[in-house]
Amino acid sequence: MKNNIRIERAFKNITQAQLAELINVSRQTINTIESNRYVPSTILALKIARVFGKPLEEIFILEEGD
Amino acid sequence: MGVLFFCAHIPFVIFRDSIKFPVTVDDGNIFGSYHVFFMITTLLMLTGLVLFAFSKERIEDEQIAQLRMDSLQWAVYLSYILLIVCLAVFSKKQDIKDVMHMGIWVPLLIFIVLFRWKMFRNSRYTKEDAI
Repeated sequence: MKNNIRIERAFKNITQAQLAELINVSRQTINTIESNRYVPSTILALKIARVFGKPLEEIFILEEGD
Repeated sequence: MGVLFFCAHIPFVIFRDSIKFPVTVDDGNIFGSYHVFFMITTLLMLTGLVLFAFSKERIEDEQIAQLRMDSLQWAVYLSYILLIVCLAVFSKKQDIKDVMHMGIWVPLLIFIVLFRWKMFRNSRYTKEDAI
């Protein structure tokens, strides 16, 4: 699974720490999601999508082989 | 708090003889010296380890919960492998008793080490590509 969190963050001009605070997780979690080392739960993914105001599919993209 | 409890049990074990705790055979008396010594050492150690192992992080999110589950799983695997190996190698009656005694705290200890290691690795990765 790929994700565009880094790009969306740049659009909104917020840091990892700020995003983490908005959805009540640690900065490590945001970092590991961005670098594809951790797959978030559906709830967390929906929260992230809500922060960016976009549908889920524009932020998280299924890859071949998933 | 947990570390405190764990540390508190150490002097009792070290100075077992000097503070007049003759550890003899269990005579079934609940206030006998054997039982009191057992209560002080083993229970202090266990409560300490449990508190240390399962205390919450400052920000407890789902990733940390995941790391906890992983470590717990591996702790159980490893401790049982260790237990089986130990039982296979040591087969005298006294040894088996010691192995079983070790089995009280080994799973917790492996869990603590694994979990702390994963947390440390996690934060190190984060520092490497901090923005």
